[in-house]
Amino acid sequence: MARRSTRVVLLIGAAVLILVLLSTGQYSSSSLGISSVREGYGTFERVVRAPFSFIAGIWNHYVFLVNTSYENETLQKGLDELRVRTMRLQELENENERLRAMLDFKGKFHDFSLIPASVLSQDITHVFKTMIIDKGSRSGFGINMPILNPSGVIGKVIAVSPHTAQVLLVTDPNSSIPALIESSRVKGIVKGRGESLLSLEYVRSVEEVKEGDSVVTSGLLGMFPKGLKLGYVREVRKDDRQIFADIIVEPCVKMEKIEEVFGIAQGVEVSD
Amino acid sequence: MLKVWKFQISLFGILFAVILMEATVIPAVWAPLRVDFFIGMIIGQIIFVPFSQGFPFVILGSLILQAFSGARLGLIPLLYIFIFLAIEMLKNFIYLENVYTQALLGILFYCLFAVATVFLADFSYLKGIISPLVAGAVLTGCVSPMMVYVVGRLQTTYEQEHE
Repeated sequence: MARRSTRVVLLIGAAVLILVLLSTGQYSSSSLGISSVREGYGTFERVVRAPFSFIAGIWNHYVFLVNTSYENETLQKGLDELRVRTMRLQELENENERLRAMLDFKGKFHDFSLIPASVLSQDITHVFKTMIIDKGSRSGFGINMPILNPSGVIGKVIAVSPHTAQVLLVTDPNSSIPALIESSRVKGIVKGRGESLLSLEYVRSVEEVKEGDSVVTSGLLGMFPKGLKLGYVREVRKDDRQIFADIIVEPCVKMEKIEEVFGIAQGVEVSD
Repeated sequence: MLKVWKFQISLFGILFAVILMEATVIPAVWAPLRVDFFIGMIIGQIIFVPFSQGFPFVILGSLILQAFSGARLGLIPLLYIFIFLAIEMLKNFIYLENVYTQALLGILFYCLFAVATVFLADFSYLKGIISPLVAGAVLTGCVSPMMVYVVGRLQTTYEQEHE
C-alpha cells in the first residue's frame, strides 16, 4: 500500500514539474539553474579534452615531423607569394579607407568588438538546432548577441551562464532574422527550416528574385547589424494564387562544420 | 541508504560521460547522427532499481539533458518520463532481461522520441533527417543492452560491497 502511494506521489510530482517547466517559456533555461549544469559540463569537457590535446600536441610537434624540410620549402614559397599579395591588399585597403572617408561612410563594424569562442557541444536532440559555446557572460556574451564566423551569420545567443552560452542557429525553425536581397534590396524574414536550409518569407510574388542572389541581414530591429551574409537564394517557387513567393536559401555557413565563432558586442570590453 | 546514494552518484557520473558522447564526440564524427544512451539507462533502471529510485533518476537525468538542448523547457523530461512509464508497464508483458528485447525497445523508443519531438515542436522536416535517424536508431539498439549491463553491473557491485 505504501509503495503504491509513493508511486502516486512521484507521478503527481513529475506531472506538476513538467507543467511548471512547460509554462515557463521557450528559452528560460538560464533562469532555472539549468545553466549551472552547462557550466559543470563545460569544465568537465575541458578536463576530458586536456590530455587528448596534450598527446595530440606531442604527436604533431615532435613525432610527426616527416618531410618537414620539403614542407618548409613549399610553405616558404607560399609565404613569399602571400607577402606580395598582402602588400597589394594593404594598398587596396588604404584606398578603400580613403574612399570611405570621402563619402563620409563610417564602417559599421568599427563600433563593434568581435569576441572569439569555440564550440563545446551540439544539441542532443538534433531536431532543434542549437549549440553550446565555451564563452559566457564573463567574456561579454549576452542574450540575443549575434554569432557569426567569417563565412556569415550563425545565429544568436539564447541562454548564457558565466562561462558558456547557448546559441540558436539560423537553421532552427524558431529562428527568424530580418533580411534583404543584396542586389534588389527586397526585404523579408529569413527563417530556419530545421534541415540545413533557410527560407526567405514575406517576399511578394511580384518581386524580382533570382537564384544565386545574396541574402544579407537588413538591420531591422537592431539585433543583427546590417549587411551580414546569411546565404544565397537556391530556389524560387512562385504561385499566382499566393501572395508571397516560396524562397529557399542556402546558408553561407556549413552549420555542422563550425568550430570557432565570434560574438558581436557593441561597446563591450573584452576580458580575454 | 549510503549505498543508494553512492549508486545514484555513480549513475550521474555515467550520465555525464553519456552527454559527452552524445553532444560532443558523436557530432564530431557525423554531425546529424544522434545516438540515445539514456534509453538503455532507463531500461536498466526498470530492471535493476526500484521505482522509487529509478523514477527520480529519470526526472533529474532528463532535466540535465534538457540543458543541452534548445527544446522547450520540460519537453525532454516529458518524453523520457513517458518512455520510463511505458517500459515500466511493458515489463509486465515482455521479458525485459532479454538482450534482443532491450535492443528492440531502444530502437522503438528512439524513433518515438524523434517523431514526438518533431510533432510536439510543430516542425515538419523529419523527411530531411531520415538517414541519420535510421543510423541513430540502429546504434541506439546496439548501445541499449550495453547501458543496461552497465547499470546492472554497477548495482551488483554496490550490493556486494554492502553485504
